[in-house]
Amino acid sequence: METNLNLRVATDIGGTFTDVVVYDPGLRKYTTAKAPSRGEDLAGGVMDALELVVDQPREVEYFVHGSTVGLNAFLQRRGERVILLATRGASDIYHIARGNRLDMYNIRYRKPRPLIPRRDIIAIGGRLDCDGEELSPLDHEDLRRAADRIRSERVRSVAIAFLFSYQNPEHELAAAQALQHLAPGASISLSHQVAAEWREYERTASAVMDAYIAPSVSRYMADLSTRLGTHGISAPLLVMQSNGGVISARSASERPLQTLLSGPVGGAAGGAALSEILDRPNLICIDLGGTSFDVSLITHGQADSSPSALLEGLPVLMPVVDIHTIGAGGGSLAYLEAGGLRVGPQSAGAYPGPACYGRGGVQPTVTDANLFLGRIDPDYFLGGNLTLDTRAAEVALQGLGSRLNLDSEKLALGIIEVINAKMSQAIRTLTVERGIEPREFSLVAFGGAGPMHAVALAQELGITEIIIPPDPGGFSAWGMLQSAVRQDFSEAFFRNFADLDPDDLRNRFARIGELAVSGLLNEGVASDRISLIPRVDMRYQGQEHTITVTLPQGASGAGTVHFTTLRERFEETYRARYGHSNPQASLETVNLRLTALGDVGRPLLQPDYQPQRLSDGPSKTSSVLFTSGVHPTSRFNRETLPAGYSFAGPAIIEESTATTVIPPEGFATIDRFGCITIEVTSA
Amino acid sequence: MKPDPITVEILRNAFIMAAEEMNAALIRSAYTPVIYESKDCAVALIDSRHRVLGQSSGVPLFLGNLEACTLATEEMFGRSVWGEGDIWIMNDPYLTGTHMHDVTVFAPIFYHGDLAGFAASRAHWLDIGAKDPGVPMDSTEVFQEGVRLPPTQVVKGGKPVEDIWSIIESNVRFPRSAIGDMTAQFAVAAIGEHRLGGLFDRYGRDTVEAAAEEVFRQSERLDRAAIRAIPDGVYTAAGFLDSDGVGDEPIHLKVKITVEDERLVFDLTETDGPGQGPINCGAVQTLSACRLAFKYLFNPQQPVNGGTFRPLEVKTRPGSILGAIPPAACQFYFTPLGLMIDLICSALSPALPETVPAAHYGDGMIFQFTGVDPRTNELFLDNEPHVGGWGASMGQDGEDGMIWTLSGNFHDMPIEVFESKFPARITEYGYRQDSAGPGQWRGGNGIIREYQMTTDTEMSLWFERSGNPAWGLFGGQGGAPPEVIVNPGTRREIRRLKTNRMPLRKGDVVRCHTGGGGGYGDPLDRDPKAVLADLADGFISGDYAERHHQLKSDSGD
Repeated sequence: METNLNLRVATDIGGTFTDVVVYDPGLRKYTTAKAPSRGEDLAGGVMDALELVVDQPREVEYFVHGSTVGLNAFLQRRGERVILLATRGASDIYHIARGNRLDMYNIRYRKPRPLIPRRDIIAIGGRLDCDGEELSPLDHEDLRRAADRIRSERVRSVAIAFLFSYQNPEHELAAAQALQHLAPGASISLSHQVAAEWREYERTASAVMDAYIAPSVSRYMADLSTRLGTHGISAPLLVMQSNGGVISARSASERPLQTLLSGPVGGAAGGAALSEILDRPNLICIDLGGTSFDVSLITHGQADSSPSALLEGLPVLMPVVDIHTIGAGGGSLAYLEAGGLRVGPQSAGAYPGPACYGRGGVQPTVTDANLFLGRIDPDYFLGGNLTLDTRAAEVALQGLGSRLNLDSEKLALGIIEVINAKMSQAIRTLTVERGIEPREFSLVAFGGAGPMHAVALAQELGITEIIIPPDPGGFSAWGMLQSAVRQDFSEAFFRNFADLDPDDLRNRFARIGELAVSGLLNEGVASDRISLIPRVDMRYQGQEHTITVTLPQGASGAGTVHFTTLRERFEETYRARYGHSNPQASLETVNLRLTALGDVGRPLLQPDYQPQRLSDGPSKTSSVLFTSGVHPTSRFNRETLPAGYSFAGPAIIEESTATTVIPPEGFATIDRFGCITIEVTSA
Repeated sequence: MKPDPITVEILRNAFIMAAEEMNAALIRSAYTPVIYESKDCAVALIDSRHRVLGQSSGVPLFLGNLEACTLATEEMFGRSVWGEGDIWIMNDPYLTGTHMHDVTVFAPIFYHGDLAGFAASRAHWLDIGAKDPGVPMDSTEVFQEGVRLPPTQVVKGGKPVEDIWSIIESNVRFPRSAIGDMTAQFAVAAIGEHRLGGLFDRYGRDTVEAAAEEVFRQSERLDRAAIRAIPDGVYTAAGFLDSDGVGDEPIHLKVKITVEDERLVFDLTETDGPGQGPINCGAVQTLSACRLAFKYLFNPQQPVNGGTFRPLEVKTRPGSILGAIPPAACQFYFTPLGLMIDLICSALSPALPETVPAAHYGDGMIFQFTGVDPRTNELFLDNEPHVGGWGASMGQDGEDGMIWTLSGNFHDMPIEVFESKFPARITEYGYRQDSAGPGQWRGGNGIIREYQMTTDTEMSLWFERSGNPAWGLFGGQGGAPPEVIVNPGTRREIRRLKTNRMPLRKGDVVRCHTGGGGGYGDPLDRDPKAVLADLADGFISGDYAERHHQLKSDSGD
């Protein structure tokens, strides 16, 4: 074997499995594997998965990881105890939490449970006005008392969030300095560093979240780095961030908040890469698993993202890839309510799971229906890891069917139709809210159950092209290999648009740009592989919410700012989103944002796909029930289909991580990248 | 022909999603921030017999009364009035029930030339031409509150009725925004028509209509079963409001509820009124609020449609504050409704002890101020609700610092946003100690929010429920009442809860206290650990712990 393999490795921790994808640039070949996750011992599962496929650890030159450690600490409420220092007179902001509710008809509503109790908030004197001018000085006596408590109670993590710190960070910085002196050793999260944006509750909540997960993330990164090193992998550990880019483990430990949604965004990153490879700028990406259905959008080649997210109702200000989730999946239960049929959102979960798992589930689920209809091979589910009990699925369907006066065939088809209708309506709502027409998009499906339902969803939405990438079960991990190193910067910038000084704007972006470039150089990115994307949050005067507009660059490259173009872009985005715009109205700016991207090379799919072994036809034919009746259906093994192979439905394509169902109206082609492309007429 | 359960379930979801899509379009295209940011709007897809197929609402109080508008119009003009391509508008408070800022737009939907249903939306417009900018707090007749529109055609056969448009434009302070919101509401009608037509095309009109009947039956079955589960009987509760905003006399509300097998009657006829001030509410909106109370207590997770609320009957007395007749002022129509919902819950507490909460702090608690901002020399207007304490219920404390029950997804205004936009500072914003109603489970805490003016301004206030603050249940006690003090502790100290355009000078301080929620169960039964936790968190004082829980604050454990 050659010694210089330069392997690129991605690992993604899921609830049940830890996925690993290895790319060998010499062979231009991907290898994937799964190992059972080890519960608490996250790094252990990663090492197990690695041992399955990486036998030459020294050849790994690139290692990226989707970490769930911060998210788990939060979801299980097992993060670090945090003391919050807040502005005297406004120290209840974190608990008042804007006072709103989303659950409208619940008269016993409780707010999302805060991460710290009120007694752990310490009020600190000192106040700035809305321009950042000091109204009263920072109270060092208050700080001393706070430090005493932090020391005596051995608190290891502190968040500091003062009013108007996004305008002037001096009080937060001075407080941090005092604490480092008076109570050394505690980890400190400053709100203006976590998110330099206005709205004190959201900024405070972000700083508290950061402080809450920081120690767990640092410990985990250190642990994993050590174990990788011991295993012989000397490549620096990179971590996937919520924004869809990667960052070094060292930076992740300093800014742990950015890794909070590290795991789930891999799919969207994969979608963005696929968009580029296939030259499809607009994609709807769906990831369907056992309990949840995730939708993300790629528009103009970019994953749709937001400057903030809500996690179990708690706001977090950080750039995050938008992922819309509804409760639907293979485990969604069908049941009777008020004499009518319902499917989901309740799920059988992994235990007892669908009736066909044979673990005691008696209610039929979506997976039971798919099995009964012949769409799933009972002997080849999860690559043969689980043998399904068709009889148990049938009994469950008969039980519910008799109460609804439906035979099992009709009920099974009905369960699929209902869940498909719900998922397609969820996609429609998501796109309509963004002013997007879904029929102008292609649908990309991954996750274990995505390819089974994708064509039907596309038909509901009037979408005519469906793409199933290679190895749909490992697509999220694959997506991580396609990501650039990314850092995001923001600063508050309240100005009337009409009064903007181009020099001022250019100088500010130049200053943030310097920070960004040195940040990426520190990450090991070559200086000629760095690109900067400046953006401005803008709005009509008097509005509260903003639209983020990318700053047009001058043709000279000297950073000349074209205000007219900026305004036009704002109006265009506003119109797309809200259906109208108001070119006469005054505009204002709220934040400056800069995204720095570092290209570290991406092992894109190559247009020379070859199957592992060739076959010139279906492996077998079986009867499958579709809405239009029973059809003799060809079953293909995906690993045997060459590029250029095409065939008409009905057909089922099986592989170890997924099953693709092509109805009689569909026509499938294996493209030169190895994707299955399905064309279909709408329902 | 009876459609199969699969088609019924697909259509049941399709109706809901059609409404969601209509609402998304409205929020997407509205001009007024309160619509697209606070979602102060509602939409419904309605069948040809004025029954809701699907509805979506950003405000709980807009629950299920859009169909009242199409029905009222048909009753006034006859069924032949509906024409293809027509769009109607109305905001008459005696017909729609709310204040005139809430404008309802609706359109008949035709399918192959036959009336097939209606698409309707309601949205809160920025201004409707009242005597004061923003919201007048002392109006005594509807004529002071803005331009009143009975059911009126604004589009006829696809063409704008320009006279009507210009009457609207000439009577509001922000005509561009008004027309923008109105046309956004037209878009809702178009989507409703498109979606319903699409379902008819795909499944056939007969199937869709038969499925709708089945969907209604399912909802009705669930509601009837829930009522059947509670004991028959007559349940009553009574309370009062501080004033009607103009006079000083309390206004009494009385709720009498009869449960008979699977029927429920809310009798509100013994309520006072009319009020001289802006506290009157149209019967249609009273019905809505009763439905909201019903929804809080029965099947809250189920979607609303034409089958929901069938077992509920509501009786109001025309001329009372819950059955407003012209020319009663209606700006604060919601104030009696908050009290009424608390009373309905308490009346039913013997029947639903595990569901009902004790009383909530009870109103929007509105602070409005206006003037010229010296930083920009421009007129500004701020109108803010305040958060307060919700009632406790079996097994849980009431939530602290919440927007009141009727307003849903409204948010408080961040200090950083407030000070950037208005010439004043917020010098304090935090929980109000000892404001929670004591109980085995305590009420939620009210808050203190203190404003300091940095220029001369005018302030209006609408705070309520000081005489009859949030009460407790099952031995729980009441929460603290609201209080607003101008320049506290000075010689110029003034206490007011309601006022219209009171002049304030630069440097003046306004300290607002909102009430706490009522407690549930005997305070002596409260888990001492919970009392200690409240002490440690500073929600209660040692004195409170001793007085209500007989816990000496120095006793440690």
